[in-house]
Amino acid sequence: MTPSEWRDKLFQIKDAFLKDIGGVSPENLDALEIRYLGRKGELSILLRELKDFPIEERKSLGQDGNSIKTEMESLLAGKKSSLSPIKTQAASGGKTGIDVTLPGYPFLKGSIHPISFTVNKLAEVFMRLGFTIADGPHIEDDYHNFEALNIPQCHPSRDAQDTFYLAMKDSQANNLLLRTHTSPVQIRTMMKHKPPLRIISPGRVFRRDALDASHSFVFHQIEGFYVDRNVGMADLKWTMEAFIKELFGSDTRLRFRPSYFPFVEPGAEVDMTCVFCRGRGNRSAAVPNEKCPVCKGSGWLEMLGAGVIHPNVLKACSMDPVQWSGFAFGAGIERFAMLLFEIRDMRIFYENDLRILKQL
Amino acid sequence: MKILYSWLMDFVGAELEAEDAIRKLQKIGFKVEEAKKTGASFKGVVTGRILKIDRHPNADRLSLVEVDTGKNVFKVVCGAGNIAVGQKVPFAAEGAVLTTGMLKKAKIRGVESAGMICSGQELGVEEKSDGIMTLPEDTPLGIDALDLFPKQDWLMEFEILPNQAYCLSHMALAREICSFYGLPFKKPSPAFPDGACADFPINIEKPMSCPRYTGIALRNLRFAPTPQWMVDRLRFMGINPKNNILIDVSNYVLFELGQPTHCFDLDLLKGPAINVRSAGKGERIKTLDGEDLELSEKFLVIADTERPVALAGVIGGVETAVSESTKNILIESAYFNPLNIRKTSKETGIKTESSYRFERGTDPEITAAAGLRIVELIKQSVPQARIEAVIDNYPLKYRPAVIEVEPMKIKTILGADISDNDMLKSLRAVDLQEEPSEPWKLTVPSFRHDIENIWDVAEETGRFIGYDVIPAETGMKLMRVSPEPFFEISLKLKTELAGCGFSEVYNYDFVSNKDLKNCMLDEKTCIDVLNPVSSDYRYMRPSLMSGLLKALRYNLNRGQESVFIFEIGKIYLKENGSYSEEAFCAGVAHGVFPAEHFWRQGLNEEADFYHVKGIVMRIFETVGDLKFASGGNGFFAPEFCAEIADENSRIGRLGKIKDSIVSANDIKAKDVWYFEIPLKALIKDSHPGLSAGGGKVKPVSVFPRIWRDLSVVVGMEHKWLDVQKAVQGVHPVRNPPCPKGTAAAPPMAGLISNGAYLEKAELIDLYRGKNIPEGMKSLTIRLTFSSMERTLTDAEVDGYISNILDKLAGKFSARLRT
Repeated sequence: MTPSEWRDKLFQIKDAFLKDIGGVSPENLDALEIRYLGRKGELSILLRELKDFPIEERKSLGQDGNSIKTEMESLLAGKKSSLSPIKTQAASGGKTGIDVTLPGYPFLKGSIHPISFTVNKLAEVFMRLGFTIADGPHIEDDYHNFEALNIPQCHPSRDAQDTFYLAMKDSQANNLLLRTHTSPVQIRTMMKHKPPLRIISPGRVFRRDALDASHSFVFHQIEGFYVDRNVGMADLKWTMEAFIKELFGSDTRLRFRPSYFPFVEPGAEVDMTCVFCRGRGNRSAAVPNEKCPVCKGSGWLEMLGAGVIHPNVLKACSMDPVQWSGFAFGAGIERFAMLLFEIRDMRIFYENDLRILKQL
Repeated sequence: MKILYSWLMDFVGAELEAEDAIRKLQKIGFKVEEAKKTGASFKGVVTGRILKIDRHPNADRLSLVEVDTGKNVFKVVCGAGNIAVGQKVPFAAEGAVLTTGMLKKAKIRGVESAGMICSGQELGVEEKSDGIMTLPEDTPLGIDALDLFPKQDWLMEFEILPNQAYCLSHMALAREICSFYGLPFKKPSPAFPDGACADFPINIEKPMSCPRYTGIALRNLRFAPTPQWMVDRLRFMGINPKNNILIDVSNYVLFELGQPTHCFDLDLLKGPAINVRSAGKGERIKTLDGEDLELSEKFLVIADTERPVALAGVIGGVETAVSESTKNILIESAYFNPLNIRKTSKETGIKTESSYRFERGTDPEITAAAGLRIVELIKQSVPQARIEAVIDNYPLKYRPAVIEVEPMKIKTILGADISDNDMLKSLRAVDLQEEPSEPWKLTVPSFRHDIENIWDVAEETGRFIGYDVIPAETGMKLMRVSPEPFFEISLKLKTELAGCGFSEVYNYDFVSNKDLKNCMLDEKTCIDVLNPVSSDYRYMRPSLMSGLLKALRYNLNRGQESVFIFEIGKIYLKENGSYSEEAFCAGVAHGVFPAEHFWRQGLNEEADFYHVKGIVMRIFETVGDLKFASGGNGFFAPEFCAEIADENSRIGRLGKIKDSIVSANDIKAKDVWYFEIPLKALIKDSHPGLSAGGGKVKPVSVFPRIWRDLSVVVGMEHKWLDVQKAVQGVHPVRNPPCPKGTAAAPPMAGLISNGAYLEKAELIDLYRGKNIPEGMKSLTIRLTFSSMERTLTDAEVDGYISNILDKLAGKFSARLRT
């Protein structure tokens, strides 16, 4: 045998051993050991043949041989220890096999935050409807966050949005603030691109609210809009239905109520039937008097604000409101996440408790 | 805004159930936050007096009580502890209807009870009662107890949107219901008095800020308490009545008609005269709520001939306020410019029901009617009151806006096919007076400041027909969706990191001074928030580290032993007066891989540098070829940190966070590993998103590979990367001169040149210790060779290896380990 043949043989033995040990049953473990590592085992015989080689070869081949022997021995020992309780049973005549109820070895598992999960889910739905994602800055100026969205300086609706201001100005000496909604992305996109535009923009927004179960000064919104010729409420309704039904099931019903947002006209608030009671209003059909804890008995949940883009907003973006029209909508992502995951307290999203996060 | 059902119905000329009214209002865009029944609705309860109390023969806690209702004496069993002889009480006889249902005759512990002495809860006038309700001493016997309580009613709470200024009163909301649902609206039209001709000077300095001021001088008054019905209604509005009709009537009319008014004590007005003007510099006013304000030219005031007597539209002055001794008043009912009022209110921080309405825009056409309504209500309590003068100074007459409407445009906006007739109906319903020519010219009523253009008109039509009539249909064309690089890359990183055992966390974008110090970050590079919610959130975060360490601490304190977390978020920096925000991906690792505990011992390991590096490589390799070099900065323990670089520049870092930072953050653990990399670095211009690094597949050889393990000993100072590069740099076609007389498998020229190549050079063992000299390490390198064209021979591979050995010996003084 040449040294190279010897080495080939060594690895053949190893490969065969690896193959055999993979599916070995407890009662065959001993046989396996004898076959490869026993005194008359394949490996032992091969190692004994080393003595016929010159000293130089012997050294180098021997090292390989021994390291493979050690490897095989340790694999066998590991297998023995994991199968040993069964082995006793097997020896006593039972044919129980291994304990398949022992937990499998843990593989690494992390998690994606519920807000990210929800954003991805929403984005996925809208992308299928032809919406492209756009991103915008968190640090904004008054023009993009308010003025261009038809919220002039003295407008009462500014009261509703308590704004964080920064101790900085931009290069044009404009005051800087943290965006209070994702709507500035609408302005930035419409200023840069020509219609038709079909955009969504999920992202972080900031409002000076006190922290409680349903308020946070940092939260997330998704903004969406579509500008083209002759776009109206009917297109909005279709889009909202397609989106909500895909997310919450096709038996979900939607309700549009007249509402007000400065950047749309006509404006609407979109409600959907409660995901918990399916619109019944009570906790269960069996207890008709007990109010549903999610919708507080109304059967409806407020999900979105929406409407036809206000002509002033189009004008601010140099679009002719006679020629172009569009719809826009906005929703709080936390609200969707809370419904999807049955989370009752918004603070959970920023506590980062792994006992919660790992459930996802 | 609070609305009382019965008050609302004062203006609706048809039957309308409360629940129906709520539903109707909701449908046309008024959000009902709460609607609750109020007042008493029991039946068959009369007033009575307790005559006698005996102990119940069979129960210690019960009494036998005789109640006199004037006509009859009833014997009842009572369990309340607060009964006493002589008390006046509400008594329910058999057949009475209470909140608990219809009352029946009952035997209680063997004794017949002919009725029940009621608690407030049983009557439905108290949330929760402790014992029976006792009535005032002077309550007459035998009257229906219903008369003692406010009537049954509904109190509704509406959320009023900023564009619904025209609905801030009972009258206005009734007008909305009536016009939308075609019900008769009882428009208030107080009679204009005869013979009120005396003059009274009302001067308006700037008509722009006060287009209309109606003043009514009312004389011959005396103190009169506010009638109970008005007190009740005001209480429902959340107002604490002053029980002086002259004071309470203003509030009442405000909630009724939405027009704020003010009554001055006429005898305290100097002149007497009214001047609507800007305040003079340094002028002061003591307001009704006790503030002493210094005024400036910015404020619009109502003044007499000497001094400001009211902050126009916001609050009155205390010096001219009406009191119990007031004999004559001047009623102010004006229309102010909303911007003026808003500024004054903001500047002074005084917000009142008046300023709330004025700054949203009131109806300029209602001032006189509201003033006269005040007179009407006062006269009900003080019949001898006499109007001396009605002065209506109206310098800037309201000119109604006219909007041109093409019906087609409305159909487009709504996306609904509405007949012209229906559309006209909807517009008439909201009082937009239409002129029948094409395009329609619509006249906007004086109370609808919010209607400015055809879109506003379309909304009115939408509200009228109902949004549910609009079909959900679209003719949207297909559109190409282009990927957004930051979104795509974030999604990819999140998925990959989660697959490596990391959990994504979300932290606030704000940090405190202490957070910065604890992470050795400089607040000079941070953007301050001017109005933070608290000092804990004073700065915009300049790094994701502090939030991640907080999350680590949070979880360690809750019993987690291993914490592997990451965040993808923005950081904010300022430099030389300019600012930046940039998205980063950063992570923290501490603890044991792959799990803290499981049944096979020995498979889990403490996370170290190479775990984190392994993860970083796996996550980021698809987005580019990353390199790691020693280095880093002050955050890291110097011996355990590395800079991450791509082809061009340093982009991120990785290492063990310094013990001092870890302990400053109150984290008990040691060995906290951290990495961060800006997302920007991962987005290639040429391949936005993720296409970089992926995609191309190399063919594999059909011939067997040959591999050899090579153990070499090199000095500790040599880095693996350099060794690997050297190995890979040995070219297979290199054909060293064959030394003469060398027997052992010389490389064969010609054979090795065609197609043999080194496929991989992997480090499979690193060893220091026994048999290896101090300062040296043994590297076992597995070399895999293959050829696309043929089976390689041992001889040529051995030749290749000896070339490699030569190279390593030359470059690193490496020698074969024996």
